[in-house]
Amino acid sequence: MMTCHYFRTNLQPGNADAAMLEHLRRCDACLDFAMSVDPDLFFRSLGGEELVPPGGIDAFVGDVMSQVRVHDAEASLAPRHAVSAWQRWAIAATVAAGVTGATLAYRYEHPASQPVHIIATARPRATATATKSFVETYSSHDATIVEMPSDGSDTKVVMIFDDKLPADL
Amino acid sequence: MAAEVLRMIPTKESVELDDRQLVEQIRQGDDGAFETLVRRKTSKVYGLCYRVIGNSEDAKDISQLVFLKLWENLEKYDATYAFDTWLYRMVTNVAIDFMRSKQSRDNAVNSNLRLVKTSVDPEQTVTVARKEVESVFNAVSNVLSPKQKTIFVMSEMEDLRSSEIAKVLGCRESTVRNHLFNARKLMQTQLKKRFPEYARLWEESR
Repeated sequence: MMTCHYFRTNLQPGNADAAMLEHLRRCDACLDFAMSVDPDLFFRSLGGEELVPPGGIDAFVGDVMSQVRVHDAEASLAPRHAVSAWQRWAIAATVAAGVTGATLAYRYEHPASQPVHIIATARPRATATATKSFVETYSSHDATIVEMPSDGSDTKVVMIFDDKLPADL
Repeated sequence: MAAEVLRMIPTKESVELDDRQLVEQIRQGDDGAFETLVRRKTSKVYGLCYRVIGNSEDAKDISQLVFLKLWENLEKYDATYAFDTWLYRMVTNVAIDFMRSKQSRDNAVNSNLRLVKTSVDPEQTVTVARKEVESVFNAVSNVLSPKQKTIFVMSEMEDLRSSEIAKVLGCRESTVRNHLFNARKLMQTQLKKRFPEYARLWEESR
């Protein structure tokens, strides 16, 4: 343990070694003297002491350990394999490709399933049979039948005038 | 014979594991080793936080945060480097971040201290008390940037060499010396301005 006398005799400006600093930081009586020799020791006198957090070291360590346990508990509840951004993109791309592929395969295996086309071809045929009925024979007492003469071909044009016939025949 | 063998096996109490060995034990799942490490480093971590932050409650919170970060990142510690350097780096990073976010609020505390201290007659003989030095330091050190203050504290109060501080902060030694020079200059200017009774000590001795 350095004495105050030794300290005051040997202190040089800008030359405070560890032992000198230790004495300075423990001895209030030498503080004024030290500062008159080397003002840079003004703030250096603050160092060195063991500072204890409010509440003491035991309470502090207890708090830290509880926080560590809470942290570990939270970590164990979190998903073990967190999915990174690029993995998420890869999963999304795979799902999209799968859906597209399945759609194309379905269409390839079921080519007739085109409802617009069916309607387009069915409709004129139905109209023709309904509105343009074909008459092979006709017999009536009230009708006037006029046979148009042709130029020797097989085609015959026949005109029927009968009030009982439907208008669209 | 058996008794002799037993005597040669070190008991848990007789063996003081160094920091690296403790870290190794923690990595193997020993929570008790971490508690030992926290107990061993509390004064060091809290002391640095308190000097840099200047408030005991904030320093306590920041110290706890440092230990929690230590627990989270212990796997990243490279045992080829000194454990204290790694720990100091963590402390300074967290403390500097905190200081930057809180710097504006500290001004209020600063002005209160100035009102108290400027009531002292500049001509009166000053007897310096350690508590006063602490108050003066808290008041005038607020002109420093968080990094300057951290370097000043590590150099002047924790007695770290410039080379050690450079390792902690991951910068050049010349950068540390530059910061230190500027910090001292700013502190002296502030001292003259706000605490002329203490500034006289400088003028008288030079």
